[in-house]
Amino acid sequence: MSNTAITEQAPINSATRGNQHGLLRGKRHYLLLAPGVFWMLVFLVLPLLMMVYVSFWTQSTFAVSPDLTIKSWVAFFSSDTYFGALIRTLRIWLTVLALTLVIGYPTALFIGQFVRNKNTQTVLLVTCVVPFWTSFLIRVLAWRPMLGKEGAINILLQKFGITSQPIEVLLFTELSVVIGMVQIYVVFMVGPIAFMLARIDESLIEAARDLGASAWTIFRKIILPLSMPGVVVGAIFVSVMVLGEFATASALSGRKVNLLGNIILTQVGSLKWAFAAVIGVVLTVVMAIVITGLLRVVNLRREL
Amino acid sequence: MMELVSLTKSYDGVSVVKDVSLTVENDEYLTILGPSGSGKSTLLRVIAGLEWPESGTVFLDGLDIGDQLPHVRGLGFVQQKYALFPHLTIFENVAFGLRNRQTDPLRDENEVRRRTLDMLHLVGLDDLGGRMVGQISGGQKQRVSLARTLVAEPKICLLDEPLGALDANLRERMTVELRRIREALGVTFVHATGNEAEAMAMGDRMVVLDNGRSLQIGSPDQIYDLPASVQVARSLNAYNVMAGDTREGVFYHIGHPLPLPPGILDARYYAVRFGSLSILEAGGKADASDGSIEAAFIASEFVGSRMVYFFRDDHGDILEVEQHLSRSDPLDFSLGERRMLAWPVAEVLAFDAAGDLIAGTSRGIAA
Amino acid sequence: MHQLTSLKWILGFYTALFIVFLYGPFLVMGIISFQQGPEGGPQFPIIEWSTFWYKHVMGFAPPSRVAPLPVGEALFRSLTLAFATMIVSTVLGTMTAQAFRTQFKGSGFVFYLVVLGMMVPGILLGLGMALVSDQLGIARTWWGTTFVLHVVYTFPFAFLVMLAIFNRFDSSVEEASWTLGVSPARTFRKVTFPMIFPGVLSAMLFAFTLSYDEFPRTLFTAAGDVTMPIAIYGTFSVEIHPNLFAFGVLTTLFSLALLTVYAILMAMSVRRSQARSSGIQEEIA
Repeated sequence: MSNTAITEQAPINSATRGNQHGLLRGKRHYLLLAPGVFWMLVFLVLPLLMMVYVSFWTQSTFAVSPDLTIKSWVAFFSSDTYFGALIRTLRIWLTVLALTLVIGYPTALFIGQFVRNKNTQTVLLVTCVVPFWTSFLIRVLAWRPMLGKEGAINILLQKFGITSQPIEVLLFTELSVVIGMVQIYVVFMVGPIAFMLARIDESLIEAARDLGASAWTIFRKIILPLSMPGVVVGAIFVSVMVLGEFATASALSGRKVNLLGNIILTQVGSLKWAFAAVIGVVLTVVMAIVITGLLRVVNLRREL
Repeated sequence: MMELVSLTKSYDGVSVVKDVSLTVENDEYLTILGPSGSGKSTLLRVIAGLEWPESGTVFLDGLDIGDQLPHVRGLGFVQQKYALFPHLTIFENVAFGLRNRQTDPLRDENEVRRRTLDMLHLVGLDDLGGRMVGQISGGQKQRVSLARTLVAEPKICLLDEPLGALDANLRERMTVELRRIREALGVTFVHATGNEAEAMAMGDRMVVLDNGRSLQIGSPDQIYDLPASVQVARSLNAYNVMAGDTREGVFYHIGHPLPLPPGILDARYYAVRFGSLSILEAGGKADASDGSIEAAFIASEFVGSRMVYFFRDDHGDILEVEQHLSRSDPLDFSLGERRMLAWPVAEVLAFDAAGDLIAGTSRGIAA
Repeated sequence: MHQLTSLKWILGFYTALFIVFLYGPFLVMGIISFQQGPEGGPQFPIIEWSTFWYKHVMGFAPPSRVAPLPVGEALFRSLTLAFATMIVSTVLGTMTAQAFRTQFKGSGFVFYLVVLGMMVPGILLGLGMALVSDQLGIARTWWGTTFVLHVVYTFPFAFLVMLAIFNRFDSSVEEASWTLGVSPARTFRKVTFPMIFPGVLSAMLFAFTLSYDEFPRTLFTAAGDVTMPIAIYGTFSVEIHPNLFAFGVLTTLFSLALLTVYAILMAMSVRRSQARSSGIQEEIA
């Protein structure tokens, strides 16, 4: 497969003798890299640059023209609707991030530290992953009959006499969006953390216990720091997905909660390309800040 | 016949192999002795084509193979950690080269089978062909690795510390086995090792490598009797080497006078073989003509048929004394017990400031 | 010690609750998929248990005001797209990871360039691609613009999986093969590939799953040709019906069946190699 690039038997003149080991020496690995790098430059970097470029184009009612202007930018920051969407996106992102961490960590702790049988660990993790084999959108929609006024939760609450009236704020509010997102993305937090926790050498914890450390000290001084890379990787996953979200919001908020993603969608729908591009750039910047910040805490390459 | 012509190799500016030239004869067992980090593994890898030298080349039967990729060189290479194919059975591991090599692969399965089974028989693994790699012991893996290389009948087989990962018992057995297998096939072995006993016991000739340089080439006996330099004497792990200087024909090791053979005026290192030392009775006096030094007992251990005693002199240098059990019974000392160690002056080797052997010290053997 | 056992129980109970939380909507989806049709809506209570919506998904139900899901075409497109994406991103991922086995200048740049593909939100990439194709006058198609974006998304996953595999790969077996006279190309086929195959398989599984369920990138780039997720997304704006849930149950069962086949294949390949080894053993004895 990949080493079709390694031509057989090519005589190596002394000029190409590098100090690499084995056969993968000299410049040959560039041949292996070329297709992937080309693909990413053309289909990833170019569209993103295009987006930045178009954000400075002139927007007329149904078309854009390549006359550079900052009108769309001004419009974005002077509009309460759009700026509000940015704030809302950040708020929901932080809420979901915090909740996935708080809800996911104990589960990861149980799977990674308290379950010592590898098979049981695998079974538990697979159990968490199975829902992913259902279409993401259907999983989102399944929250509607859960949360609605006559939904499963209200039925159960009333049946057990906990509430007398159905709770109406459960669906088509920001709350329902947050609930839906947390449920969908929490597994991305559990997985990496559980993985890091399972890697902790048991003797380390035993040694600490022999030295008389309390459970809380062990958690604070050993388990928590060693699970940090998992937390960061999980946070990256969750952030990437939540910041770019729009489907959960439109399915569970009845179009009342508009995130940046939703606005891009409606702008594109009404052919406001330049405007959509502005929001895209804003989102990209937010994203870049978040990810670089998180990557400062942990070196992704080293954790592999 | 293989010739190495001034091979040089460095990593990140640090040279690991320095200007090594060497001729390997047909049908010989050549051992390369060097401590870890001496560059012996790198040297073998350069010969095999797995590393590229900065300069120098390799001739095989008069042909320059320095630019060839490993798979066309026709050399065998047995790796230290065996590197067996974990997804194949033992039989398939051994047959792998025959079936898949680029030059002249064997198409006839019966022939593959015959030769593989013959080879498994030769290395004593007749019944294990069907096992997977994970199901056999370290010693067996070692034999499979050897069989896999030898079945292709390479002209020369390079072995990188082939016994390094085996326990002492197995090691001893395999040294005999390796020689037997080599002689049965008539293939040339180039065997790198960090163990001086192994290098001396197995090689027809041996090369002493230190810090990337070839220090001495010769038969094990020659090298053992007359190490060309103090580094060689040290790497043989058979000599007590003391540093000092010479005044009027007497060697002074930290002020302690030691007699030298006549005619030596500039010795800076003084070496006596472990086996040449004797331990005198408590309170005993050495012959006036003999060399002697007082030292405190530290430990002793059995090494096969020999007993080795460790002493420490007043300067802190360790002196080893070796006694064959066929000649005397093991002795008992208490820790720190002081004894006189003595040796005949004819057994002394002297080296000059550059570390080279001073001609004229012959230990009574014609040089 | 005592304190820890009770903690273990508490956390165990919590984990059970957590799993209920994960599966709750699932359960509801399963129940409602058996709602009476065509009048019954996607909510409680169940008017009457029926398999109407399953028939509806399969196209057996009598025509009603609920439009059928475009299962045939959309599903075909989704599967084709996922398959092609899987092949291309696994090949790219393996090649790139193979190149990373040696040190080279600019490896940090390439690493983050590739990983960027999974970090940029789909909607941004979809938008950017739509802008590019709009300006260059390239038609937007599910097998063109959509496909390349799916690869941009899944290639990083395949790359990371293969990188992790190669990090634990002992290259001395490749050297052993070369010194046995086997060419590098054949060595890759006969030694390297069989040894990394489990990794390749999981990279493929990753890529297929991600592409099959992908939709923000598809939304802007597939023009009129819907894939399955887009078809489902299309129902957001109008009323949803329990046929979606029936479809969800069916696809979940289908995916689980695939997963089971994958697990069985893996188990069988392990057993076969064991059986084969004992077979040869008898043959030789």
